[in-house]
This record gives sequence, C-alpha cells and structure tokens, in this order.
Amino acid sequence: MEYVRKLMDRVSVEGVKIELLNTAYGNGDTFLAKLDPRTPFLWYLYFGIAPWFIHDVILLFGLFFLMALTTMMSRVSPLIIGILCLGLLSQAGYLLIVSWLFGGGGETILPLLKLTLKLSVISLASITVFCSMDPEKLSDGLLSIGVPKQVSFGIAYGYRMLPSLLEEYHHIFLSFRLRGKAPERHGILYLRSIVYFLKIAVLSFYPLILSIAKRTRTTVEALETKGFSYAYQSPEVKRIKLSHMKFTRRDALFLAVSVIYVAALYVLAAQFNL
Amino acid sequence: MIQSQKRYVLTQSQKMMVFMLSMSLYGLSNMITELIPSLRLGPVEFSVEYFAFIPLTLCILFHPFYAAVGAALGEVIFGEIMLGQFGGLGELEKFIGFSLAMFIAGSLVNDPRNRRQVGIAAITGVVIHQFISSAVDIAKVWVGVEEFEAVPGLAQSVVVVEGVSFLNDVLFSGILFALLPTLYLVPRLYGKIEPLLGMKPRDNRMKYSLGEIIAPRLIVISIVLAFAAFGAEFLAESDMALIDWDADFLESIGGWFIWVSIGAAAIVALITILLMIRKGKRTPQQIDRSGQA
Repeated sequence: MEYVRKLMDRVSVEGVKIELLNTAYGNGDTFLAKLDPRTPFLWYLYFGIAPWFIHDVILLFGLFFLMALTTMMSRVSPLIIGILCLGLLSQAGYLLIVSWLFGGGGETILPLLKLTLKLSVISLASITVFCSMDPEKLSDGLLSIGVPKQVSFGIAYGYRMLPSLLEEYHHIFLSFRLRGKAPERHGILYLRSIVYFLKIAVLSFYPLILSIAKRTRTTVEALETKGFSYAYQSPEVKRIKLSHMKFTRRDALFLAVSVIYVAALYVLAAQFNL
Repeated sequence: MIQSQKRYVLTQSQKMMVFMLSMSLYGLSNMITELIPSLRLGPVEFSVEYFAFIPLTLCILFHPFYAAVGAALGEVIFGEIMLGQFGGLGELEKFIGFSLAMFIAGSLVNDPRNRRQVGIAAITGVVIHQFISSAVDIAKVWVGVEEFEAVPGLAQSVVVVEGVSFLNDVLFSGILFALLPTLYLVPRLYGKIEPLLGMKPRDNRMKYSLGEIIAPRLIVISIVLAFAAFGAEFLAESDMALIDWDADFLESIGGWFIWVSIGAAAIVALITILLMIRKGKRTPQQIDRSGQA
C-alpha cells in the first residue's frame, strides 16, 4: 500500500494536466510531426494490421526495431511507454502463469513472447502515428479520410475543455472531502479509506453532471450563433478547411524508406528460412 | 408541444447537447479511472474498470442513441487519444461494443422513475459490454498466436483469464460502479437536468422516434453481427490452419510465397496512393459527394 500512496503523490491533477499538454503539443518540431497527416495513416494501414498475420520471428523483430526507431523519432513521453510496457508484460505474464496450471510449460513461453512482440509492434505503430501529430493535425487528417465531423469536433473540444473539467472535478472532490468526515482508522488493508475515496469519487459526479450540462448548453448556443450546424453540413467548408494539406517530398521519403526497409526485411527473413 | 408528447423528438442542437454532455462526462471519468490503481489478489483483480454509471444514467435520461455514441467517442478521445494510448483500428471494436451495449441498456427503460427497470437496464448494459469485450480478447489471442490449439494449456488459460475478468467486471465494477450509482443518480437527476438542456423529461408516454421502428431491426442486426464475428473467428482459425499445413510447401517453393505477400502489400499501398491522388485532383463538388456518401 505504501507504493500506492507514493504513486498518488506523484499523480497529481497538475501533473496530469502538464503531461496531457505535453503529449499534445510537446513535440511539434519532430520529423514525423511535419508530415502530412495522411502519410502516417497510410503507413499505419500496413504496420497496424500486417503484424497480426506475420508469424516469423525475424520479421517481427525487424518490424519492432523500425517501430522503436520511429517512436524515438517522435519523442513520445516516457510515461506512455511505461504504461504500454507494463500492460503488455502483465498480460503476457498472467497468461503464462495460468497456462502453467493447465499443463503448459516452457513451450508456452515462445508463442506468448511472439504475441507480446506482435502486440508491441502494433501499439508502437499507433503511438508513433497518433502521438506525433498535434490535435489540430490529427483532426484534420481524420476529417480528410472521411471520418465523421463529430470526431474532429470532439478532439478539438476535448483538448480545450478537459483541463478545466479536470480542475472542476478536483474542486468538487476537495469540497466533498472538506465537508465530509474521513474514516478515523484506515481499516484492514486501508479498506475503509479506499471505500471512502471511491464513494466521494462517484458522488462528485452528481454536481459535475449538472454544471457540465449548463456549460454544454452555453457552448452549443455559442456554436449556433457562429453557424456551426450550417458549416457542419457544408462541403465547401470542409474543402476550405482542408486545403492546406498537401504531400511533400518529405512524405515520399518517409514512405519510400519504410517500403524499402520492409522489403529488405522480407528478403532477409526468406534467406534465413531457406 | 403536442408532437413532443407523442414522440421523443430532439432538435439538432439538443442532439448535439446530449452528445457533448455524454462525451465530456464519460471522457473525464475515463481519465480518472485510468489514474486509480488496481488491486490484484491472485487471479481476482479489484480494479475500477470504468465508471459505467455515467453513460448508463445519460442513456436512461436522454435519447439513448446520442448519449451512447457520445460516451463511446468520449472514451476514445479523452481516454485514448489524449493520453497517447490510441490503439488505432482496435478502438473500433471497443467503440461499437460499448455504444451498442449502452444503447440497448438505455432503450430498455421507458420510465426513468421505475427503479427496477433502471437496475435491470444497468446490469444488462454492463453484461453485454463485458461479454463483447471478452469475446474479442479471446479472438485476439486466437488470431495472434500461431497454432493456437497446439500450444499446451493456452486455450484453456485464455478462456479462464477472460472468464474471471468477465465475472470480476460484472460483479465488482458492475454492481459498485454501474448498478448502485445509476440507481442513486437517475431519480435525482430526472426532471432536474433536462431543463438545463432546454428539453422536457422523458416520461412514460413518450417514445423515441427511433425506438419502435428500430427495436426489432436492432435485434436482428445484433444477431447478424454476432454471427459475423463468430464467422470471422472461424475463418481466421481455418486460415491459420491452412498456412500451417502449407509450411513445408512453402519451404519447398522458397521465398516465392513471401514475394506474393510483398506484392499484395505493395499493390494495396499503390491503390491507396492512386485513390488519394485521384481524390485530390477531383473537382470540389465530386469530393463533396464522396464525402457525403
């Protein structure tokens, strides 16, 4: 339980907000961030799907190496990588332990490692693609490949509103704590305190739901005065909005290098398998 | 006014309000649940999977369709994209499963003041969602591991792990964070939150405009989708088996097979690029049409 408290100390509301903004805007000057958003999508079309159907270890390692390289290039925050590693390892480890109960052994490890490798290639590919772009770019890119406009609106709205919503929630949570009475003893395994905090976490949503409802109405009314629902349906608006996107030499270079690398990898894997 | 007595009709901006409310609230709660550490006692994990009570409450109080889609989108945007954990195509499955479950839960209730209805709807929503997500997780390992059947103990362990987490999510998260808070919030918010969005509360006599028409169709579609999912799974399995049998055949022919797969990938990429360039060259009006379609 000690480590939980340490973790809670580090994960403060301020820290989360900073981390969020850092994820969103912290790496706008990397090579990947300057690409046209459609190029990474195209790239992802292969690297996000193909690994599911690849069972060759050399190929997978090669792909993993490329993904690690691109992830480093996009300068993703260490927190995200940490969360990813923890999730992957715990899932595979858990499966391994349970499979031992059913008579699995050493030979179960290899397929599971392969699965973990596969999953990490796919996750790194999505991290590379979706974390290297700042939110405006991402929403423009999604809009251009035909994703409904609600999504791009949602992204824009989320980035604008989330920090203030988090703050509001935090205030309500603190005021519940101020007015309420914390349990005097922690109980077995801190059980009382945990129940107390979780109860507050749930109850805090009651005032928050009402205040967000009011805020939503204000936002929608403001959007109406700006003619949002008209622009929402007008294709001309979409065209003007997306007219700034164009493919450059950089995009071609990125795709070409990736294609050459993957082709070389297939050749190498074929050499080894012969 | 008379019309709204008969049917639960929302204007465009009311739909937008419900959508945004659901998106931002559920997204926020997702971010909070990401921060709550989980406690693991052996195979049983006491984790706060999600605050399902928020989308459930909103689906019960408002039009279930917009609330469900908004919540699912909120999860993807706030919980995944903004935390840098966006899983790309994998999120599609979560999105569909979650919004389907919440929509069904919301449509089950026609009187938000009836506690029994609300409770049944809340649990049903959680069960449907957890069932879909466990099935997908099992299928993922199935597809991802070569010769799935041949690996000793893996098949059983996957089913056991997923089964335990299903039960844990339904019994722990489902009761504590879906059933009880929903039963607490729905009667409290009913009649209070609707005026804030400028609409009338749902009552017994009101029916959704979609409800009656879609309900039978929705059931048929869900069944078809479930079968399609199973079909895809079996297809994937038999596909894997095919490749396994062909292993020695592959060796005898050599790298030939690999070149075919490279070629296929290259062709797909080429077609996509061509389509993109074509799309770029088209007149704006044509883009509009394809954008609308």
